[in-house]
Amino acid sequence: MATASSNIKGFYKQKKKESGIRKPTSTKSDKSSLLHATTLGSDFTQPSALVSHGSPDLKDDYDKNEDVLRQFDMNSAYGPCLGMSRLARWERAQRLGLNPPKEIEGLLKGKEVRSECLWDGCI
Amino acid sequence: MTAMEIDTEKNIQRKHSTYQSLDKTFDIQNEIYRGQQYSQIYFARLHTMRTLLYSLVTHWKPSCPCLLMTFISVILEVSGNLEVMVVFRVLDFNGIGCEVYVVDRGHLYMVLVNFISGAFFKFFFSPICNGLGFCTVLGLEEGKECIIVGTLFKHMQLKPCVLDEYSKERSAVPLVKPHNFMHPDDHLVLEDESGRVKLGGTVLSPSTYVTGGVVALHGKETTAGDFLVLDVFEAGLAPQIEPQLKSREDKYVVFISGVSVGSSTSNPLQFQLLVDHITGHLGDEQEQGIAAEIVHVVFAGNSVEIPLGLLNGQNLASKDQSRVSEAVQVLDILLSQIAAGVSVDIMPGSNDPANFALPQQPLNRCLFPGSRTFNTFNSCTNPHCFELDGVRFLGTSGQNIDDLKKYSEARDELEFMERTLKWRHLAPTAPNTLGCYPFTDRDPFLIESCPHVYFVGNQDKYGTRILEGSEGQMVRLISIPKFCNTGLAVVLNLRNLECHTLSFGAQPSTLKTFNDA
Repeated sequence: MATASSNIKGFYKQKKKESGIRKPTSTKSDKSSLLHATTLGSDFTQPSALVSHGSPDLKDDYDKNEDVLRQFDMNSAYGPCLGMSRLARWERAQRLGLNPPKEIEGLLKGKEVRSECLWDGCI
Repeated sequence: MTAMEIDTEKNIQRKHSTYQSLDKTFDIQNEIYRGQQYSQIYFARLHTMRTLLYSLVTHWKPSCPCLLMTFISVILEVSGNLEVMVVFRVLDFNGIGCEVYVVDRGHLYMVLVNFISGAFFKFFFSPICNGLGFCTVLGLEEGKECIIVGTLFKHMQLKPCVLDEYSKERSAVPLVKPHNFMHPDDHLVLEDESGRVKLGGTVLSPSTYVTGGVVALHGKETTAGDFLVLDVFEAGLAPQIEPQLKSREDKYVVFISGVSVGSSTSNPLQFQLLVDHITGHLGDEQEQGIAAEIVHVVFAGNSVEIPLGLLNGQNLASKDQSRVSEAVQVLDILLSQIAAGVSVDIMPGSNDPANFALPQQPLNRCLFPGSRTFNTFNSCTNPHCFELDGVRFLGTSGQNIDDLKKYSEARDELEFMERTLKWRHLAPTAPNTLGCYPFTDRDPFLIESCPHVYFVGNQDKYGTRILEGSEGQMVRLISIPKFCNTGLAVVLNLRNLECHTLSFGAQPSTLKTFNDA
C-alpha cells in the first residue's frame, strides 16, 4: 500500500481497536487479550471503557478532538474521507460551498491531531 | 533567376487567426497521488451537477403547483469576490411574485427582483417545501412523488468482471461480443451519498444511459422498494458564448486523426499528400489560394503506431530500438513541414506514447526535436479545448465515445456526442470503465461552457451535423474518421461552421510501405 503508515506502533494500535482481529504473533500477555475481548462489538467512538482500564498502551491520541474529527470524516455530505487528508477535504468542502464547521479547520491547523482519516493506510 | 522573381510577385500569404489554448483544467502536473482516491471524483461530479440541476429544475417543472417552496437560500456571486447571501420567498415559479431579501453582514435589505437577472447564482434548497420537493435516496418515502438527483449506475451482467476469472463455473459465463456489453436485462440504479435505489418504469431506457451520468428524476418509491421513474431531466447543453460569425472571411481548420505513422495500414504517400496540400506545395495558384486559407491544423490522436510486438517488456536489440523510434521521427519530420507554415496542435490518442488514463498529457516535446523549434507547434492534452478567433473548440481523440459505444447504443457517433453534451460531461464512463486520473477536488470533464465545435477523432466514418440547444446554442458536431483507413481529413470553415472532407488517395500496390524495409 502506497500510504501504509511507517509507524508500525501506530498501525498496530489501530488493529487493536478493530474488534475481533487479533494477530497470533501478538506479544501482549493473556491479560491484555482478555481486555481486547471486552471491547468486542463495542463502538470505537466510545472510549471510556478502554481508558478506564488505564493501560498505557491502549491510550492513544483518541480524545475529544479526535471524536469531532471522526464525525467530520463520517459525514457523507462532504464526500468520501479516504484518499484525502482531512484538511484537504475540509478545504474542498469550503470551496464547494458546503460550509463545514470552522472549528474543524482550527483543530486541523493548530492542534496535534491526526491529519488523515481513521482508515488511511488500513484499506 | 527570372523564375524566382515570378514566384515572389505572386506571393500568397496565409491568413492569420488568434489562438488561445484552454487546456489548463486537463493538466495533471500539480496533482499528487496519495492512494485510495478514486471515489473522490464521483463526489466532485455529483456535487457540481446536483447544484446545477437544482438550479435548472425550475425550468423543467415550472407550472407544477406543487413546486411552491417557502424558503430558498441563494448565494449570489456578484462581480469580483463580493458574496452576498440572498434569501427569497418564492410565491410561484414563473418568477413573478418573488420577494428578495439580501442578508449582508447581518443586515436585511430588500432589493428589486431585477438585481438577480444579470448575476450568476447557484442555490441550495432547504427541505422546507410542500409538495414536490427534493429528496435524498435515503429520505425517499413510499408513494410520495419527489425529485431525486444522483449518479446513474448501470448494472450490466455481460460487463467483464475481474472476479469472473475466479469463478468456478466457467461454463456459466455467457459468450460476450467484444465490442458491446449490452444485454436486455441491464437495469439502472441511482446513487447519491446516502444510498442507492433501483430504477423502474419504462421512461428510462437502460440502453441510452451509462454509469457515471448525473440526472434528476421525478418519480416515487414503490412498495417493492424501487423508484418508479415518471420523468427524467438532464442538464442539457451548457450556456454558450455568442461567437459573432457574421462578418468574417473564409478561414479553414483541418482535422486529421488516426494517421498512424508506422503502422502497416498507413500509406506514407497519403500523409505526404496531405502535408503538401496544407503547405501549398500541391497544385496551381487556385489550389494554393485555398490552402492559404487554412489557419490551423489539429491532429486528433493516434498519430503514431509503434509496432506492438516490440513493446512486450523485453530488452530491445539495437535494430529494434531504431524501429521503435522510426515512426516518431518520420512524424516529426512531417509535422515540422506543417509547423513551418501553419499552427498545428497534436493530441495524444490511445496508441500514442502518452499516459493511458484520461486526461492524457501532452506528448513530450523531446519526441519532436524538429517541430518543437517552431512556436506554431503545440503539443496538447486529450481532451483538448481551444479558442480560435472567438470560436470555441472542444474535442477528444475518441476514447470517450468508443467507451460509450461499448456500454450503450445509439444511431451513430454523433448521437453519442450529443448525449455527452447534454449530460455536460465529456466522459461519463470515467473512471468506471475508462481510465481516468483520480482527481480529488474537481472533475475536469464537466463541460461548463458549450463549445461551438465539438470533434471526436479515430472514428470509423465521417459524420457531421449541427446540434441546437434549448437556449439558442449551436454546436457543430464532427466525427473524424481514421486517416489510415479512409484517407479523409475534415475541413471546417470558421465563417459559417460548415464542414467538408478532403480525400487523399494513392495506389498502394506498387508502393513499399513502412515496415517492408
